[in-house]
Amino acid sequence: MKRFSGSLAQLALFIAVGLALPLLPGTNFSLLITLLLFIGLATSWDILGGWTGQTSLGHAAFVGIGAYALALGTNRLGLDAISAVQLGVGVAVLFALLWGSLTFGLRGSYFTLSTIAIAEILRLAAINEAWFTGGSAGLFISSLPEPFGLDLFERRVEYYLALVYAASVLACVMWFASGRFGYEMRAVREDEAAAQASGINPTRIKLRAFALSGALTALGGGVYGAYLSFLDPHNLFFLPLSVQIALTAIIGGRGTVWGPALGATLLILPAELFRSVFAEANLLIYGLLILIVTLFVPRGLIGELERYLLRRRYAREQG
Amino acid sequence: MPASRASPSILQAERVSVRFGGLRAVDDVSFRLECGKILGLIGPNGAGKTTLFNALTGYVPLSSGRVTYLGSDVSRSPPFERTRKGMGRTFQIERPFEGLTVLENVLIPAFLRFPGRGDAEAWAGECLERVGLADRRKQLSSELNLARRRRLELAKALAVKPRVLFLDEIMAGLNPPALTEMIEFVLSLTLDGTAILMVEHIMQAVVELSDHIIVLAFGKKIAEGTPEVVTSSPLVIEAYLGGVDDA
Repeated sequence: MKRFSGSLAQLALFIAVGLALPLLPGTNFSLLITLLLFIGLATSWDILGGWTGQTSLGHAAFVGIGAYALALGTNRLGLDAISAVQLGVGVAVLFALLWGSLTFGLRGSYFTLSTIAIAEILRLAAINEAWFTGGSAGLFISSLPEPFGLDLFERRVEYYLALVYAASVLACVMWFASGRFGYEMRAVREDEAAAQASGINPTRIKLRAFALSGALTALGGGVYGAYLSFLDPHNLFFLPLSVQIALTAIIGGRGTVWGPALGATLLILPAELFRSVFAEANLLIYGLLILIVTLFVPRGLIGELERYLLRRRYAREQG
Repeated sequence: MPASRASPSILQAERVSVRFGGLRAVDDVSFRLECGKILGLIGPNGAGKTTLFNALTGYVPLSSGRVTYLGSDVSRSPPFERTRKGMGRTFQIERPFEGLTVLENVLIPAFLRFPGRGDAEAWAGECLERVGLADRRKQLSSELNLARRRRLELAKALAVKPRVLFLDEIMAGLNPPALTEMIEFVLSLTLDGTAILMVEHIMQAVVELSDHIIVLAFGKKIAEGTPEVVTSSPLVIEAYLGGVDDA
């Protein structure tokens, strides 16, 4: 399919740039790892929030599940790193299905509010069940198994893991974008009644999207956990992280393949660069971008661009 | 039921009622629809036509009664299941998937019968061809004018390969040439045995198209029969046609 090979070329370019960056002198690995992780996390969020149109402000819960599964799975349950991450992804899927079946009866902003509540419940559980999670003091990952002899505490290794993660999530979205599932999600987002008239079961599509979105977010949470090596429930399960993931996707363009990645680049790079010089620049940039996007590009940057290209192509063919 | 059993009935409503609190929006309505036939549903505003239409397609729950499609009871089936079984519908207020192109809009229902993108796209293209929108396939659906949005609705309904098609006021607002075209088109749809149930205000269309007409008033069936019988019934003229100049 022509459409798909175009995306493959874009993905190949993304990976090539990702492989080339560490070759530059003085690479700031922490910055690039954060960037790649947020590309992956925002793209995962977008499967539910953008493609399916169900805005979640609770995705930090899945990041937390992934990170804690890695830490607790390896240090408490004696699993190897890969099994621990798989455990996290499995828990995330079950959790998403349960969560979705409870809340998909709610529409629009009510669903969004419920996602905040459920993530908050998980955060409180992580804080209060200190015997297992380390509680509000957090959890220090002192040692990790070395899958394939890779030291997971080494920045370079973490960088390549984050690259593989981001590329996999993007590949996953590209794969469904032009196929049946991608269109079913968009139909549900646009109009559930009309989707039913097309033979689509909206609840089922939303659950599937939620499970996939949660699983991929938890996968990123696992990499994030290794990168942080200190897990703090006030960060990993908390609303600001959920908001950051959601805004990243919204600003870049929800429901597009590259929108969340662009959003992550616009938000993470300046924020990290200015952090040492001007700590509040972070919030300032967020505020400005949100204002600009909601006022002038409500579909997000890539969203408006795609719309413009579509219009122009049609006009050209007619003219 | 007095209707003849000669040709197979595809859709049957038995004593269908829909109540909203104390209001009987649809009150004890029964009918049969046979393959290749067109059933017109008319009545004054607020007579319960749209409610009955939505009850038959599953968008409004029945309070009592039964809807049978091809011999199986679908009274409790959700709308998407009815679609899968072959009950296609249009919406009175067109509901294109706004952010998508015309072709993509039809692709979505086409996936129901053709899971692969290539086949689905070919079938969607055929459906667009039939409604005369093939040259618009790459246009954003939100940018179509009313008559074309209407035809897009039809293409989407056809894409699920319906055996019974529910058309909700698809003639409304069309200019005379477009109306004539649409009437011919709807008639052509029955050639392969597809049955049609249409809610319609435009009398010209109802009279020209329907094999059988049901007249609703205050949720009740007050008359039924061939167009000639119904349009000359004094009860109907009083309830509905009185004072209406049907040019």
